[in-house]
Amino acid sequence: MSLIDVENLTLQFKTDEGLITAVDNVSFSLAPGEVMGLVGESGSGKSVTAKSLMKLNPGNAVYSRESKITLHLDDGPVDVMSLNRPRDMEVARGGAISMIFQEPMASFAPAMTIGSQMVEQLLIHTDMSKSQARELSIEMLDRVGISDASTRFGQYAFEMSGGMRQRAMIAMALSTKPKLLIADEPTTALDVTIQAQVIDLMKDLVDEFGMGIIFITHDLGVVAQTADKVAVMYLGKMIEQGPVREVIRNPYHPYTQGLIDALPQLDDLDKPLMPVPGDIPSPLERPEGCVFHTRCGKIIGDICRTAVPSWADTGENHRTACHLCHEGRHA
Amino acid sequence: MEWGVSAPFQMLAGNNEMLQFARFAATRAVMAVVTLVLVSLIVFSLMELVPGDCAERYLAYKNTQGSAITLADIEAERARLGLDRPFLTRWASWLSGAFRGDFGESCILRVNIAQLLGDKFWISLWICLGSLTLAYMIAIPVGIISAASRNAFLNNSLRLVSYLGLAMPNFLLALMVMLFSTIYFGETLTGLFSPEYREAPWSWAKFVDLLKHAWLPIFILGWSATAFALQTVRALMSDEIGKLYVTAAAARGIYGRRLLWRYPARHALGPIVNSLGFDLNRIFNELPIVALILTLTEAGSLLLEALARSNDQQLAGAIIFLLTAAIVTLNFATDILLAVIDPRVRKSILR
Repeated sequence: MSLIDVENLTLQFKTDEGLITAVDNVSFSLAPGEVMGLVGESGSGKSVTAKSLMKLNPGNAVYSRESKITLHLDDGPVDVMSLNRPRDMEVARGGAISMIFQEPMASFAPAMTIGSQMVEQLLIHTDMSKSQARELSIEMLDRVGISDASTRFGQYAFEMSGGMRQRAMIAMALSTKPKLLIADEPTTALDVTIQAQVIDLMKDLVDEFGMGIIFITHDLGVVAQTADKVAVMYLGKMIEQGPVREVIRNPYHPYTQGLIDALPQLDDLDKPLMPVPGDIPSPLERPEGCVFHTRCGKIIGDICRTAVPSWADTGENHRTACHLCHEGRHA
Repeated sequence: MEWGVSAPFQMLAGNNEMLQFARFAATRAVMAVVTLVLVSLIVFSLMELVPGDCAERYLAYKNTQGSAITLADIEAERARLGLDRPFLTRWASWLSGAFRGDFGESCILRVNIAQLLGDKFWISLWICLGSLTLAYMIAIPVGIISAASRNAFLNNSLRLVSYLGLAMPNFLLALMVMLFSTIYFGETLTGLFSPEYREAPWSWAKFVDLLKHAWLPIFILGWSATAFALQTVRALMSDEIGKLYVTAAAARGIYGRRLLWRYPARHALGPIVNSLGFDLNRIFNELPIVALILTLTEAGSLLLEALARSNDQQLAGAIIFLLTAAIVTLNFATDILLAVIDPRVRKSILR
């Protein structure tokens, strides 16, 4: 059985300029122990999608009535969308789902010790005493490879290096033993060498704790190393998803192909970089039809400009939303 | 509600850290004294820059009263006042007196300034501190709540009230309050003491009488100070609330008042503490006009009188020096407080 099912998630933000669609009819599911990479440019709605799982979006977010997020826990399913009181949301916020953020420095409160923030979270989500929470926190810090963990427990974020902060963040996120970890570009702000360490650490911890991970990134290279499956988003829409190797070897959607071509290739340095042409349109001017048609090099006619493409199977467990699939042509 | 303020004290518990903190406090104290000495040099130079000196001014004053004056009289008066000594010597002796609370004699009134000021300076200072306290007692909770709330009505009415506070001059408010109280209550709310206590020695009854009168200047001065502080607190809070660590805390299941006070509010506190000295100065500057209207002869109007009416530089210099000393002391206190509440500041000094 899956760990989390997201069905028809649609989210709009109420702004002075009107309603802005940030997530448009996104569906996916994740099994326990599975790692899903959520890929796309900035502004593609991947962070907003992930935050929806915790109902963490700001107060001007409006979820459509069809949006449904179901969390399958040991004591039965939880309908995340129906959680309204903050007290009830605890299960999705730090209980069964934890989140780590892109900026490890900015995600710790600067004037509170790492330890006090870890203990606070444990006291909310578990029946532990303060000293038990302290013990577990130090154990977790030690587990993620922070040396001299009991000293670090009493320190502040500004006293640590970037990599150490992100380790501490991971330790904090995992201390409540969540079933699902959302990692929002956890390695983007780190040096490449530290990146690799943090990714290895996360892989180890998935195996050990058996939890699912949603790994948000714009870096397909990181996804290829870590994820079991990948979902590509563009302008709030999910456009392709499937097993990671399959999607990277046989990308179907022109946008996915563009993302892969845009990666620098170390074995052929003379090969020119191939950026995806054009810019992501303003969310205020969402294109009609296929959202990608304004930048697509393989447009096949008016159908791209007028009709929203539906999903088509393009391999084993590999689905793509592109009119090319229905035309029977491989892009 | 936990403020987490006990943690810093625990952090200071280590003996070594205690020692380093004491060293930090001592350094800051020395710096405060140095500041005060520099300010005294500026104040003293300004006093000297005014054309004519104390001897000339006093004798000129006597002259207008009908006594004949000769140059020899002026020289004799200069020698008596020690005005014939070099500048730096005079400054040094003025400064050493100032630190002991002795500011010499007033040029015109010929009485000891310390005596003349009496409790007046302290009463003025306490009125200003009272206004400052009132301002932040209102501004901190209201500013925090309004920054956290998306209630348009609440925010707009708060904005209106604080613009009113910022735009309406204090003296107008003072006049209005007096007008209303005279018309509707038949009471004139002027002065700081009832007549029977004015010359009486300090007693509990006199203190109570002072409180009965002091609320009005405190309220009037606090009105615009509150409006100002409200804007500051609101802006700082809105800034903090948008930060990632607040979202991250919400993602850990923290919510409601606990989230608000432990996270953004606590972190917005530093800049607020930092601005207290500046605020006190602003309030003190507004005091003389309000004091003039409410005829608080016991408070700041003395400065205005000293400067404008009688050209009494000795008195004005003494008041400015005392005010600077009060602000420097407050800044010293806020520096220490900041180091206690903000670990980043504390760690930067403990090494």
